[in-house]
Amino acid sequence: MIAYILRRLLLWIPSVVLVMLGVYALAFYGAGDPIKLIFLRAPGDVAYDPVKIEAIREQAGLNQPFLVQFGTYLWNLLHGNFGNSLFSGRSVWAMISAAAPVSLMLGLMAMIVTALVAVPLGMIAGMNQNSRLDYTILGTAVTLWAIPAYVAGPLLMVMLLAVLPSGAVPYGWGGLFSVKIILPLIVLSFQPIALIIRQTRAAVIDVMTEDYVRTARAKGVPEHVVALRHILRPVLTPVVTQLGLIMITIVNGAIFVELVFGLPGLGRLTVQALINSDYPVILAVTLIGSFLVMASNLLVDLLYPLLDPRATDPKAART
Amino acid sequence: MTDGTIINPPEDRPSSLWRDAWRRLRRNRLAVAGLVVLAVLVFVAAFGPWLTPYDFLSQNLDARNLPPSLGHPFGTDDLGRDVMSRVIYGARTAFLVAVLVTVVAVLIGVVLGAIAGFYGGRFDKTLMWVTDMTMSVPQLLLVVVINASLKQPISLWMEARYMETMNPLYRNSAIIDFVLVFGSMALISWPPYARLVRAQVLSIRNRPYVTAARALGLTNRIILTRYVMPNAVGPLIVAISAGLGTAMVLESAFSFLGIGVNPPTPSWGNMISDGLRVWTNYPHLLLAPAAVLAVVTVAFNFLGDGLNDALNPKGQK
Repeated sequence: MIAYILRRLLLWIPSVVLVMLGVYALAFYGAGDPIKLIFLRAPGDVAYDPVKIEAIREQAGLNQPFLVQFGTYLWNLLHGNFGNSLFSGRSVWAMISAAAPVSLMLGLMAMIVTALVAVPLGMIAGMNQNSRLDYTILGTAVTLWAIPAYVAGPLLMVMLLAVLPSGAVPYGWGGLFSVKIILPLIVLSFQPIALIIRQTRAAVIDVMTEDYVRTARAKGVPEHVVALRHILRPVLTPVVTQLGLIMITIVNGAIFVELVFGLPGLGRLTVQALINSDYPVILAVTLIGSFLVMASNLLVDLLYPLLDPRATDPKAART
Repeated sequence: MTDGTIINPPEDRPSSLWRDAWRRLRRNRLAVAGLVVLAVLVFVAAFGPWLTPYDFLSQNLDARNLPPSLGHPFGTDDLGRDVMSRVIYGARTAFLVAVLVTVVAVLIGVVLGAIAGFYGGRFDKTLMWVTDMTMSVPQLLLVVVINASLKQPISLWMEARYMETMNPLYRNSAIIDFVLVFGSMALISWPPYARLVRAQVLSIRNRPYVTAARALGLTNRIILTRYVMPNAVGPLIVAISAGLGTAMVLESAFSFLGIGVNPPTPSWGNMISDGLRVWTNYPHLLLAPAAVLAVVTVAFNFLGDGLNDALNPKGQK
């Protein structure tokens, strides 16, 4: 077991570094010279002095070869230093740590909501396969999956506008326990819920054909006990493995949800950085997003043998 | 659904994969509804300029922010432009981007995936590794980075071409927008296609009829193009129909964020983000593009699911 975890970790670290290398290379070769970018932004009367620029470049280590600069960037990252924003001059780390709690709370809540709503709905749909109830749940899931957050959010707001006076429609951030979080949370959970409903349904349909389920029913075990004891447990395994994909939908969705509802999180930070071509911030946010997804995938790999002991036992795997 | 052939009276024409699939698809009401919506979309996108009562750019400052009425079914925006005409032109933008991006992505994906699956070896390993990496970065953030990276080189190149040729086409910022959008989207969209085709080719490569073709002494190229690829097309079509929908959503997502198609070229995404600024007073500006985009993406998904069931009958339980 420990050997398995170590092997996973050893395979994981190089892939994280490689993703970082790829993103950094894109920024390095595409964005152009950061010093020039800073000077282009400066007020018009600042002279474009090549000698001065050369001096700054020398000092900042920008004359070094690509790999050396990447190494320095990684080294600084390990010390929590993401560089400074080209736009405001503030430390990127400070900007991120101010914005991260909002996104983190929202994302975690969305995951909890997803698990609580989607797993039961998927179970119901799967256990009543091809019934009208099944089609309703599945159709809703497809619709929720298809409609992007920046469409669902505004549509819901406009609908609320028909019911509430315009000042009362929630907008902005009021903390985790404020009423304002409900709407963004619902919209952010739409896609993960759709994903998990479909996963759970497919897994339930698969498990329902197993002999032990038929045996339990034949023995006269009540249906709800069959559902909770015999079906739920094996169904959770394939569902948990979707954690990485859920993370992707939440990271993508948060960008739009935060923008639509005016929440001061990482998503809005990304969009502002994008509008200002603020490279260090874009780079940092992309790295954090990729890191979250890859960490979720690693977590799934590590949890898998606990849920399904066959995964690490070579003897059992063959049967 | 195998018993359907017994119940139905025998048909004159022999049944083929495609005819069976079409029959199965027609029975799926949701998929047919999706197909109809998309047919309307294609029609509107193709004949948009002849259908719209107003030009999408013409402003009428006397008729600003009008609510929906008979003359303007979706109302007018803050510059007095007809919203319905803009939504119809938005369909053109969405369709153009979706089709071009998907074509490029499928071409790259099919060629790389087929070569990797058929020949295997080091190329296969490298390709799988690259797709793994690309797919573990959140799509949107990757596009953001690619888009921001490409922007400067492309603008500089276009400016240089303009200086060389004095052709005003090179100064058209809409072209830069489109090149950026196409480029960055195609760059992130091909890996799923490559993986799909590779998996298909791997499973077909060792079938008896491929071995037979090899025994006949046919060249690898002919085996790949005539024997392997035609049998890998079914799942690819399902993926393409889903991919078109995804590409359309991505385009509107970028335009929404302000890195895609920029005003005054109408796109559903930038119309939604414009509408979002004034939605408390003029909800129709937000509602029209958002509702159309929602209907179209749902249609793509229903059609995709229907195609999946129709072309992979074995997958049905």
